[in-house]
Amino acid sequence: MNVQADPLVDDYLRRLNAAASALPAHQREELVCEIRDHLREALRQTPAGDKAAVRTALERLGPPEEIAAAATDPPPPGQPAAVSETNGLAIASVLLAVLWFAGIGAVLALVFGYRARSQIKNSAGKQAGSGLATAGIILGWIGITILIAGVILIAFHPNKPQ
Amino acid sequence: MSQLRKGTLEYCVLALLRDGQRYGFELVRTLSEADGLLVSEGTIYPLLSRLRRDQLVSTSWQESDAGPPRRYYQLTDAGKRALADFSDEWARFRDAVDALVTTQGEQDDERASRPAGR
Repeated sequence: MNVQADPLVDDYLRRLNAAASALPAHQREELVCEIRDHLREALRQTPAGDKAAVRTALERLGPPEEIAAAATDPPPPGQPAAVSETNGLAIASVLLAVLWFAGIGAVLALVFGYRARSQIKNSAGKQAGSGLATAGIILGWIGITILIAGVILIAFHPNKPQ
Repeated sequence: MSQLRKGTLEYCVLALLRDGQRYGFELVRTLSEADGLLVSEGTIYPLLSRLRRDQLVSTSWQESDAGPPRRYYQLTDAGKRALADFSDEWARFRDAVDALVTTQGEQDDERASRPAGR
């Protein structure tokens, strides 16, 4: 039978699609596709309109919400959990900001600090140190303010050496 | 118990692929009919997708003589290693649990068979 045209199958796949809305789009489409292929195989020999056979096949699959939950679940225990490590750039950022290095440290602290923050954000919990990175950024801006103040002071100092 | 089942299921999938490739429907039917595993068929597909993302299995589409092409799953080298590691570990784990569960059971039986009033 043609599973595409079956209202029960249609409804089931729609529920699956809705339940899997938390998945990335390509993963959700693939899942729905796999289940549709599965039903096509399961009902290959079934004459069209055999509602009982369709119901049995759907029951064997289980509730669509359960399938979606299995797809969004974290991996089963026993697999090594991702170790959270501190982002190296975040540490470098704070160090450079503190050392200042005639202002160059402050500039580098900002560059490293912002990059560290985006890396930590993209690591999805695998990296720590966003507090450190923020500290590096704040100290970096303070360093730059000191640098600018210093330049202004020297430039406009009344007792400029001749 | 359900956690134990869930954790071992992926290795059951790998084990089914040990002797060659199989397509999704075939894998899922075999697993769901294995007595005691108690899995609903649909939840095996997310597992297959995870195994593929972890590169323990690879897939290929192949023509079938009946109907549209099928997606076949096969073990990668990493999958073979994971299965071998698990097999060793599982044998030790099973023996240890068996030893505890059965001796414990025998002790209970002995206690139960002693005449009352001792």
